[in-house]
Amino acid sequence: MAVGRRDGRAGQDVLRRVGEASVLILISLAGGPKHGYALIQDIKELADVELGPGTLYGALDRLERIGLIESLPAEDRRHPYRITVPGAAALRVHLDSVERVSAAGRLRLQLGGI
Amino acid sequence: MHDSRAARLVQAVLRCYPARWRRRHGDEAAELAALLIRDGTPAGSIVFSYLAGAAREWLTPRPGRRLSAVACVLLAVACSLGLSAGLLASAGPARAASPSTARVPARPVQCRTGSPEPVPAVIPAAAHLPVIIWAAGHGRAC
Repeated sequence: MAVGRRDGRAGQDVLRRVGEASVLILISLAGGPKHGYALIQDIKELADVELGPGTLYGALDRLERIGLIESLPAEDRRHPYRITVPGAAALRVHLDSVERVSAAGRLRLQLGGI
Repeated sequence: MHDSRAARLVQAVLRCYPARWRRRHGDEAAELAALLIRDGTPAGSIVFSYLAGAAREWLTPRPGRRLSAVACVLLAVACSLGLSAGLLASAGPARAASPSTARVPARPVQCRTGSPEPVPAVIPAAAHLPVIIWAAGHGRAC
């Protein structure tokens, strides 16, 4: 699995280049498995972002291909997705990185007196 | 937009996706669109999102379908079309205007009585150049 190899390099942020939609999907799935419609609703509530269905399926396919999420057996016509262990690790690394950058940004704003 | 019309439009757009994608997500995607439309999402934005997604699906290189291979095929098609158009535009009229430069077949063509009169013709793009010239000269010789 691609992520397994990438995770071998300690703490590399594999989510840096996957796009905002993918990160939001991972954050939503961190709260439990969901299918497409539930993901769109949750992300709208969570981040006030309306994810288009085309964007959603593109991101889901990409995340599944690199092993960060996996699809569960279909319920009716819907495929629920679940975050994998490498996916959770990648999300943690990414959020840590965002937090560091965010803290640095706040500090600079404070020091600059803006 | 009326719901049934929007649903038909979504179905049409979903057909733009590769078959592999439609097998996997097609039914769910149609149902998701219906739910979003019911919730008040404009059908146009759903259609646009699926169109953009379909374009991305076709353009994203996959392990079994390398982008360079696709680009090579497109380039070859474009070159052959351009070459054919160039030959038709330049060689055809020029050769017809100067019969002395037209190539004569090695073995003269015999005209049979009652056979339909051959007409100067240009064989379409994929044909070989010598065939085009022979056909053009044949009408006059008879």
